Amino acid sequence: MRTVITWLLCSLVTAMPAAAAELHAPKDIAAGTDFSITLDGSSQGTFYLIGPATAKKHAVENASEISVPGTDIEKAGNYQAILCSSECVSTDFYVHAAEPDRLSLLVHPSRVPVATTNAISAVAIALDRFHNMVFSRADVNFSVNSNNGSSASHAQPTNRGIAWIRLTSAAKASSTKISASVGETTETRVVEQVASEACHLHIKSSWQANRLVVETDPVRDCSGNNVPDGTVVSFTKTDASGKTTVDAPIKKGIAKAEMPVVGHARISVASGVVLGNELNVGGAR
Amino acid sequence: MKRSLRLLAAVAVLFVASRYSSAQSSPAVEFNGANSSPRAVEDLTSQSVPRDYAFAWQNMTQALDENRPELLDAYFTGFAKSSLEQRIKEQAQAGLHVRYTDHGHKLNVLFYSPNGDLMQIEDDAQLEMQILDGSKVIQSQPLRVRYMVLMTPGADRWMVRDLESTPASRSGE
Repeated sequence: MRTVITWLLCSLVTAMPAAAAELHAPKDIAAGTDFSITLDGSSQGTFYLIGPATAKKHAVENASEISVPGTDIEKAGNYQAILCSSECVSTDFYVHAAEPDRLSLLVHPSRVPVATTNAISAVAIALDRFHNMVFSRADVNFSVNSNNGSSASHAQPTNRGIAWIRLTSAAKASSTKISASVGETTETRVVEQVASEACHLHIKSSWQANRLVVETDPVRDCSGNNVPDGTVVSFTKTDASGKTTVDAPIKKGIAKAEMPVVGHARISVASGVVLGNELNVGGAR
Repeated sequence: MKRSLRLLAAVAVLFVASRYSSAQSSPAVEFNGANSSPRAVEDLTSQSVPRDYAFAWQNMTQALDENRPELLDAYFTGFAKSSLEQRIKEQAQAGLHVRYTDHGHKLNVLFYSPNGDLMQIEDDAQLEMQILDGSKVIQSQPLRVRYMVLMTPGADRWMVRDLESTPASRSGE
């Protein structure tokens, strides 16, 4: 009987698979850092490492730890380490972003009218050197430098990797550099601040060879900036023959149109939503 | 003999149809834009973002299962795309593939840029993941993962620009 029991016990022991070693990984590792996964005792089999940008597989021979190079964990996120021999054991670990080292900076728009409240937005995304978003708080320093020498800066902490500001455009037309920096890294974008809508649009008329010539004074916005050449100014004439509109682009700061006039006429001017003065003129001379 | 052939053909058609239908189905996505700041999510955007995010996941799960990086082109861009392409390349080299069963996503908009060109979303995803070496399943587990997602508008759709799981977000359920 004793022999039978011994034989049964021996059979049971030999029939059981070898207990797989447990894997132990640090629970929190910085991206790009070398580290080791330890095993209870020594083991052999096939090791797998699966992560956001990683899928590694290699054989392990009688090892008590498995070295993982930093190049295998450059992408932040959850990883799974698996060791398979007769059965598979696994462990999870998290790789967090390294220190902030880069910025992604979005600035809009690239052209903006002057003196417009909250017209410019700048959004900075804090990244590490492997382009992982850095979720921990980092201070981003936004600075604005105009061509005319004026500058301003503002520090804004990131919230879940993002910091943003809104800016009011300057009163004078100029190009402005908007920069964001974190640590040693600075990203810069250029915004053109251009004249706004025309302001105090004013026309005058004169006769040239029996044709009425209507032209504007130099067209400026309310801050005194010249409205860009090419901006369309509309002249509208109402006389006995009906209503006629002539669109003329601004050239060298002035828009000009020639119009035939029958009898008495009324001339008005507009640019965009801005209306100018009206002229009442007599018939052709 | 004919009857057996017909039966076999019917089974084959059903198998192909089921594969096709599972490959075509996109996951359920709930969308909450109420917490969006500083810009409110527009009605049309609140429809297009969850729709495009669902398509992105549908394409990604198929790409990771079949090791086909070209499936990422439609809805992924930037670092999200390059990371997944790298993973698929390594999966193919190692003879691995990963099969996700997607039980749905709950999206919560955290940030929507003033100009509407960037949206940061937190995704609470319910998944089952199987890692396969060839045809052998080496790991299978249910997961609840929180992702931080960056999406940007493209010509006619929203694209996933970054997809990162967050710390301590992964748990078997």
